[in-house]
Amino acid sequence: MGNDNFLDITSWSAFPWLSAIIFLPLLGALFLYLPSFRPAHDESGWRARNFALVISLVVFSLSIFLLAGFSSDSAGLQFAERLAWIPAYGISYFVGLDGISLFLVVLTTFLMPIVVLASGSVKKDIRAYLASMLVLETAMLGTLLAVDVFLFYVFWELMLFPMYLIIGIWGGKRRIYATVKFVIYTVVGSLLMLVAIFYLIWSYYNQFGEVTFMLSLLIQGSALSIQEEVWLFAAFALAFGIKVPVFPFHTWLPDAHVEAPTGGSVILAGVLLKMGLYGFIRFAYPLFPRAAELFAPYLALLAVIGIIYGALVAWAQSDIKKLVAYSSVSHLGYCVLGFVAFNIVSTSGSIFQMLSHGVSTGALFLLVGMIYERRHTREISDYGGLASIVPIFAFLFLVFTLSSIALPLTNGFIGEFLILTGSFLVFPVFTAIAVLGVILGAIYMLTLYMRTMFGEINTEENKTLKDLTGIEIVTLAPLFLLVFYMGVYPQPILKRMEPTLVSYIEFVETRRERLYSLDMQNKNIAFNADKTLSIDLNGSSL
Amino acid sequence: MKQELSFQIFMASPLIALAIGALFVLLWEVLSPAPIEKRKRGGALLTISFSLIALILLHMTAPGLERGATVFNGALYIDSLSYFVTFFLILGTIFSVFLSMGNLLKLQGVDAIGEYYSLLLITTIGAIVLGNAAEMIVLFLGLETMSLALYCLCASALRNERSSESGLKYFILGSFSSAFLLYGIALAYGVSGTTSIEGIAAAASGASPLFAAQASGISVLMLSLGLMIIGLAFKVAAVPFHFWAPDVYEGAPTSITAYMAVVIKAAAVFAFLRVIWIAFGDLIAVWSGIIWMLAILSMVLGNLVALRQNSVKRMLAYSSIAHAGYIMMAFLVPTEAFGGGPALVYYLVAYLLMSFGAFSVLLVLGSRSADFQKNESFRAFYGLHQVNPFLAVSMALFMLALAGLPPGLSGLFGKFYVFSAAIKGGYTGLAIVGVLASAVSFYYYLRVVVAMYFHEPDEAGAKISVPSSLKWIILICAAGIILIGIFPSLLYQSGIALIGNSF
Repeated sequence: MGNDNFLDITSWSAFPWLSAIIFLPLLGALFLYLPSFRPAHDESGWRARNFALVISLVVFSLSIFLLAGFSSDSAGLQFAERLAWIPAYGISYFVGLDGISLFLVVLTTFLMPIVVLASGSVKKDIRAYLASMLVLETAMLGTLLAVDVFLFYVFWELMLFPMYLIIGIWGGKRRIYATVKFVIYTVVGSLLMLVAIFYLIWSYYNQFGEVTFMLSLLIQGSALSIQEEVWLFAAFALAFGIKVPVFPFHTWLPDAHVEAPTGGSVILAGVLLKMGLYGFIRFAYPLFPRAAELFAPYLALLAVIGIIYGALVAWAQSDIKKLVAYSSVSHLGYCVLGFVAFNIVSTSGSIFQMLSHGVSTGALFLLVGMIYERRHTREISDYGGLASIVPIFAFLFLVFTLSSIALPLTNGFIGEFLILTGSFLVFPVFTAIAVLGVILGAIYMLTLYMRTMFGEINTEENKTLKDLTGIEIVTLAPLFLLVFYMGVYPQPILKRMEPTLVSYIEFVETRRERLYSLDMQNKNIAFNADKTLSIDLNGSSL
Repeated sequence: MKQELSFQIFMASPLIALAIGALFVLLWEVLSPAPIEKRKRGGALLTISFSLIALILLHMTAPGLERGATVFNGALYIDSLSYFVTFFLILGTIFSVFLSMGNLLKLQGVDAIGEYYSLLLITTIGAIVLGNAAEMIVLFLGLETMSLALYCLCASALRNERSSESGLKYFILGSFSSAFLLYGIALAYGVSGTTSIEGIAAAASGASPLFAAQASGISVLMLSLGLMIIGLAFKVAAVPFHFWAPDVYEGAPTSITAYMAVVIKAAAVFAFLRVIWIAFGDLIAVWSGIIWMLAILSMVLGNLVALRQNSVKRMLAYSSIAHAGYIMMAFLVPTEAFGGGPALVYYLVAYLLMSFGAFSVLLVLGSRSADFQKNESFRAFYGLHQVNPFLAVSMALFMLALAGLPPGLSGLFGKFYVFSAAIKGGYTGLAIVGVLASAVSFYYYLRVVVAMYFHEPDEAGAKISVPSSLKWIILICAAGIILIGIFPSLLYQSGIALIGNSF
């Protein structure tokens, strides 16, 4: 214990805890189709909602249990489970938890009960809505926990269909356009990634004579030339970059966000977007370290463009939800920048920022949803002076706004500070520009706050707005607490990520060195091949 | 290899059982003392019983199977692949009967029930002979037996005028393609002096003495190969030999459309395997280029044109063209480990389940009234989720499986095996075109889901009842898709075994 490397197995699990949290939501989704949840017996959908709430809370408590049992001084996979699935291809059901996935898992399970609580506004077929959400939770947890490349791919693709339904059935006016765009965009990237995965495993096969999709083995392979690596990395980067979304591929996001129902937006911003960056971290970088290094400045450039562009576009929005959606493009830019800078400070900042973005943006989407339900408009100009009418709402909105613009003592600050500090060492110019994004962020968020909460009460309808109900406050309270907890005392979180990240960065860098030196060796061998005929290429490279 | 005649007949007994069945069904409708309604219902039951008898007999022949063995003086293969071919084609026939049970045939506009089932069994016999032929003349006979009976079946819905159009079109274009095939066979015979697949293989490898004497032999053989590929590609419905498919698929009764999309295509695929992998195995450099082209064209064109269809049935026709493209990718990587053979076995079984499932749902909607065109359009699917959730959920599963998106896992694995084989064989460019084309396909498969889930039904409160035979077939297909999706190895491993024992 304590000195495991990235992807080593620290502990196998006697009881399948990880499978339990992955598949419990799926089971719950199936149970929702029992007769007693039929609309005939459960007209208001209360029973179904309570059931889904219980399921998601059980999953959440299980993940808290994992968090408690997680040993914070080890870098390897904990609670690992492995079962052969497709032996001929070396594909196994292989899941494990480490410092990179731990908090993203907790974030996912944490947001789900909140989404279920906030589903009161869903009027049509609540059962199917909850079932889609639970299936989505299974897919997200599976994606985060899989350490077999193909298993990851299956869960990754499984995330699409429930989200497709959530936007398409319960979304706004242009929902069909938005949801089809979302699926087609994502699928193009991930199918190219599938081709890249095959190329990768056959190259491993040619080197070692074994077919496997196990990440811990594939990252030992060294048969790819640097050109091949670049192409494969590009395919992975396309799939993950679309999901994040990195700058030129972001156009699906505002549509999806605006049309999605509140719960859908919360999950989309809170978890789904992070999957893209998670894919970079878990798969693309360790597998293709040389290409990753070559691409890093370009990714950083795109990230910075995303930060500034997202912020400027957000500033220009007249629709509150669209504004928050574009702010996500900007915030995710920081995460990407922090990760590609690739040192321990910026990388932990990046993961921390993913968590705190999930909390604060999730909360902002919830708040937007709550006010939309009351007034059925999201135009900024339709609001004004709300602070005096709905003070609790205004107060919470202020807190999450401040967390979103990274005020010290809120969660947003820690992440952005770490990212900017760490990235400055690697990309000083980009980081300097990115800091402008922080200022822009403050401008557009505070302008939004000023125009909606302060000033004259400009319409009659607004005068009779009701403040947040008890259940809405309960929904937001956990997020509210987390904003300050993560902002004031981030250490427990950072501490648990650190060993994995340290060994991860070290691993990627050693692997990169090793591949480069192998290249050199091979060149020398080719050069000397005439003189010394009997050099065993494979033997020398191992 | 000298064999007892009784052994040979025993090994062919599944075919004989089907032939007796075909005659019996025809006579039964005329001679049975039962009242007319009962007689009509009997046709389906008799067909299924004879198919089951054939399956039992097939199972009993299993110990006699041997690698490269043939019966009737080298007419038909009896190896493990032939076992699978026969099993698969009969299974497809049984599925198709489920789509025509009860009064389903009447609803599709077919009146001649006895003839319908008799022709269906004859088509199946032809398909099995085609798929197992070890000899070019037998192959041609199988193809023609299959095709002639099928032309009639396509035109069997007398009360649907598009059905006659379908039959006629198929007949004219089909005869044309048969001529190509026959010409190819004749050329191969001219060069090699034999019509047996093994004999042609010997000639193509230059081992035949007759062949060695002729300088122009190899180029004639190449021409013959090209002509045969045209003839078979027509039956597979690969682009550019697909022009018949959309019209024929649309006009034929849906039970026959599903049958064509699966059984006929599969029979031609198996014949393809024997012809290009064995007979012309040494000319792989020649045919791989042709197949590569056919695969690309089928995937790209099939998927792109499917985008613009307003009829779900036509959309499925184009999708079946696109699937022919994916299937042909597997041809390119013959027999090595992780190659195309087992991938094909998996793909075809998965495709059988998804296609029959999708066509069954389509049939439920299509047979509501005589206005087939309206009932088979995307519009007919509007709000199906509210009208009949069972149909909507299963159709969504079938569409996702055809697209290869989880939870339709079996479709994903079908593509997984095929694309992985292609990339292993070095066809990365082809695989990239393939995945991009299949990204296009998501749009039209999901269009069905859009119609069912995101739109309101046209008539509020309309009810759709599902005939019980269709309910069963939909359940079986959905269960099968989920089963082989979660445990793909079951099927893939047997695919490895049976391909390994046959080539």
